[in-house]
Amino acid sequence: MLVEPLKAEEIRDPELNALIARCEVLGVPDAVFPRILARVPAYAKALLRALLVSHVEGSVDHRLKEVIRVQLARTAGDPYFAGLRSARARQLGLNEETIAAGSARFEDDARFTAAEKWALRYARGMYLNPEKVDAAFYAEGKRHYSEAQIMELGAFIAFHYGMQVFMRVVGAHRQEGA
Amino acid sequence: MALDPDRIDAEFDGALRRHYSDEEIVELGAFIGFNIGYHTFFGTLDFYPMSSPDGRLVSQEESARVYGAKPASLEKTDARRTAEG
Repeated sequence: MLVEPLKAEEIRDPELNALIARCEVLGVPDAVFPRILARVPAYAKALLRALLVSHVEGSVDHRLKEVIRVQLARTAGDPYFAGLRSARARQLGLNEETIAAGSARFEDDARFTAAEKWALRYARGMYLNPEKVDAAFYAEGKRHYSEAQIMELGAFIAFHYGMQVFMRVVGAHRQEGA
Repeated sequence: MALDPDRIDAEFDGALRRHYSDEEIVELGAFIGFNIGYHTFFGTLDFYPMSSPDGRLVSQEESARVYGAKPASLEKTDARRTAEG
């Protein structure tokens, strides 16, 4: 691993420890990513709070965000975040088959609504074909979502993808040494 | 990280550590990841700076003219640099 996670006992900031505990309850991220970030406590607190808020809060279905998050991690080539699962999404009924379908040919999959398919295309297109995420694409999105929900989705996609790209390179040595 | 993450390997790691501590590597990596994610998102939203380079408040239409309505993507910029040698 490029940067080793701190040991739990090395993290003494109570606010940071509370955020790490919230992450561990959700399962996304588990303790590894927060303990790497904990080397820069101010960053760790801001970034973990944003990860949690963007994933769990807001008005877009958490289960859909979880399917998108895993799709994004696969796009980013990050096995760490791709392997994590939200305990809350599981409790809400999200299963592994649906998660896998969100990274496959979801356009033809009857388990997703038209709105969910647009959100899945949004995530896939953002980093694979951003030139196709244009005014016409957003106009289509507004038939399914409010502007607030589209910003919620866009910010969620951007933030989680960015952290996955970071974790891909930080975690690279762990894979090599495994 | 943005264009060729596979090149951030053990050799790159060694070079990085000659200049930066673990704390600074985390700080840089998280900052870069955040910007990779958000700048692509912002690029799809078709918005421009509120001020011109000389500090005037300008409309979005004028700002698009000043800064360019279709900024080159990283890939296009990189391809052009490669072609230009």
